[in-house]
Amino acid sequence: MATSTYLSAPVVTVNSVDLSDQATSAVITRVIESLESSSFASNSRTYTAGMENSTITVTLYNSYAVTETYATLKALVGTQTTVTIKPTVAATSATNPIHTLTGCYLESLPLVNGQLGALDTIDITFTGGVYSVAIA
Amino acid sequence: MYEIISARLGTPGDTFTPDDATNVEALLDGGFIKEKNPTNNAKSVKVTPSQQVPDDLQIDTE
Repeated sequence: MATSTYLSAPVVTVNSVDLSDQATSAVITRVIESLESSSFASNSRTYTAGMENSTITVTLYNSYAVTETYATLKALVGTQTTVTIKPTVAATSATNPIHTLTGCYLESLPLVNGQLGALDTIDITFTGGVYSVAIA
Repeated sequence: MYEIISARLGTPGDTFTPDDATNVEALLDGGFIKEKNPTNNAKSVKVTPSQQVPDDLQIDTE
């Protein structure tokens, strides 16, 4: 049975900055909004494709050190940027495709997620933009 | 022209060429890149006495 196992070395970049060593989770979801096209002639609801609105959600350790998480993200709130995710650090290929959201929007950035006895982690979501995948 | 400072972006010292979707201001603000100063390759020119214009050949503009 073929599976994808993420033991180590997925690559996550935000605005060209490699945040792989701060990331613990990355989810890219391709979304094409549905538009209802049912009519009086329909016996069941039907839908057609609307606008694309894909998302990338990344979980990161929140580090305030130089050129770490906070330094990467603080100026991106309310702006568009590019985010990429690749399953492994190996060369891009059909079995290791690089997924890209170009021009995606960062609406919010948690600044502190403090819990006693736990590392500060944040979930950030990039929305919209143009999705593409490259295999070479 | 920008120069990479942080290894998170590439090899420090290399030239960074942003694409259209790159937020350059955020990279500058975060200390990942810096603007490259234009190299000053102009050499100073020494004027020899023979190149100086004699007083009688100078044009009085007043």
